Amino acid sequence: MTSVGVALVVDDSVVNRLVLIRHLRGLEVEAMEAGNGVEALDILRSVGGAIDLVLLDVMMPELDGYETLAAMKADEALRHIPVIIVSGVEELDSVVRCIELGATDYLTKPITPRVLEARINASLAAKRLHDLEMEYLERQRTLTATIERQKTELSRFLSPQIAALISSEDGGKLLAGHRREISVAFCDLRGFTAFAQQADPEELLGVLGEYHRMMGAAIIEHGGTLEHFAGDGVMIFFNDPLQQEDHVERAVRMAVTMRDRFAELASGWQKRGYELGFGVGIAVGYATLGRIGFEGRYDYGAIGNVVILASRLSSQAGSNQILVNQRVYAQVEQLVQVEEVGELTLKGIPRPVVALNVTSVAPASPRVTEAASA
Amino acid sequence: MEAERAVLSREVLATLEASVGGDRSFVAELIEAYLAEGETHVAEIEAAAAANSATKLVRPAHTLKSSSATLGAMVVSGLSAALEQGARNGSVPAAEDIAAVRRAWIAAAAALRAWMGEVGS
Repeated sequence: MTSVGVALVVDDSVVNRLVLIRHLRGLEVEAMEAGNGVEALDILRSVGGAIDLVLLDVMMPELDGYETLAAMKADEALRHIPVIIVSGVEELDSVVRCIELGATDYLTKPITPRVLEARINASLAAKRLHDLEMEYLERQRTLTATIERQKTELSRFLSPQIAALISSEDGGKLLAGHRREISVAFCDLRGFTAFAQQADPEELLGVLGEYHRMMGAAIIEHGGTLEHFAGDGVMIFFNDPLQQEDHVERAVRMAVTMRDRFAELASGWQKRGYELGFGVGIAVGYATLGRIGFEGRYDYGAIGNVVILASRLSSQAGSNQILVNQRVYAQVEQLVQVEEVGELTLKGIPRPVVALNVTSVAPASPRVTEAASA
Repeated sequence: MEAERAVLSREVLATLEASVGGDRSFVAELIEAYLAEGETHVAEIEAAAAANSATKLVRPAHTLKSSSATLGAMVVSGLSAALEQGARNGSVPAAEDIAAVRRAWIAAAAALRAWMGEVGS
């Protein structure tokens, strides 16, 4: 038998139940029955999910209509099932009370089939809508969980800022491409090629692992965006996608932190016979940032002269040198100690570049607090 | 104007029968159910009155009023309605009112059985 829904008929009178069930069958509504509120709640709690509608009498032994209704409304799992009160015409006071308790509608005896049909259809429609809503919410919960999981996975592959950017509201716009001033730092190892040729693959991966862990921690501490790792070469930029007023300072501080920590790592490697040095190039300037690549494999990247300049400075940097151009120096002059390197002729850069090597940087916070309290 | 209430309203029975698509055997089934539970309700009313409890009287009187109306037992329905109303106001009916319900019930049950005999169900 096809049915449009299942109704639970709750009435202590067999006569009333028979009449209602008969009418429900005529409307292709399947019926279950209970002789009082206690029986009704038992049925609802065991097969509640299958019941779309309750037709409830008010005056019943054991547990009356009010108590049954109150118990249903107090039960998270039953609260949403529509309840139609079935009462005599002279009982409008009790109908009002039931509606206040959360009943959906009411019917008066004797039952008029057409009114019954209208009431039942309205309640079943409301129930179906509620079920759809629940289904939709459930799907949404699954979807949200999937997105959260993807975000977590994504942040393992991408820089955290880029993973966050992709999931953010204006992610699409930013990914599409925008221009912004950024600070770019290129880092790589001196002596790495020779080392790679002589070391065992396990040894090589071990050293690279230590190096990347150290670099990764420093990048995160300073809020840098890692653009890529390429063996020993690492490119980091600042001020995008997260905007940072002090992006130049951040880049310089990160480079100095890396160099200091690298020195500790290098002394360990030296004992094993590996001569490795660390060099950085930093430049500041405008770049176009966004999604770069092709369908199937995109990176979030920066394109511009600033990137080329930082890369060339890095190639020129000797072991433990942090080379910056004058524009970078101008912005951190008060914070850093430098030594002049002189004019460098760099591949692809038309004019010679005046480069400076950052030897140290003033500690970050004390200076700021002193200035503030002075 | 107080109309004479019928022991059994054939009009009500006919309407009931029409409302279920003329299914006479269903009406017969209803009558059987009514005869069984009506007896219980009358007994409950008598017990409540004997125990002097208006509270216990309300529900059986209410249900008997309603099912009697469904089957056309208008006298039983009317008397039960009066009992229910009185009991809601806290009054336990006099013995003669209880006896009147019992008499009306017996008459209605006989009329319903007669109707079933007539229509051959």
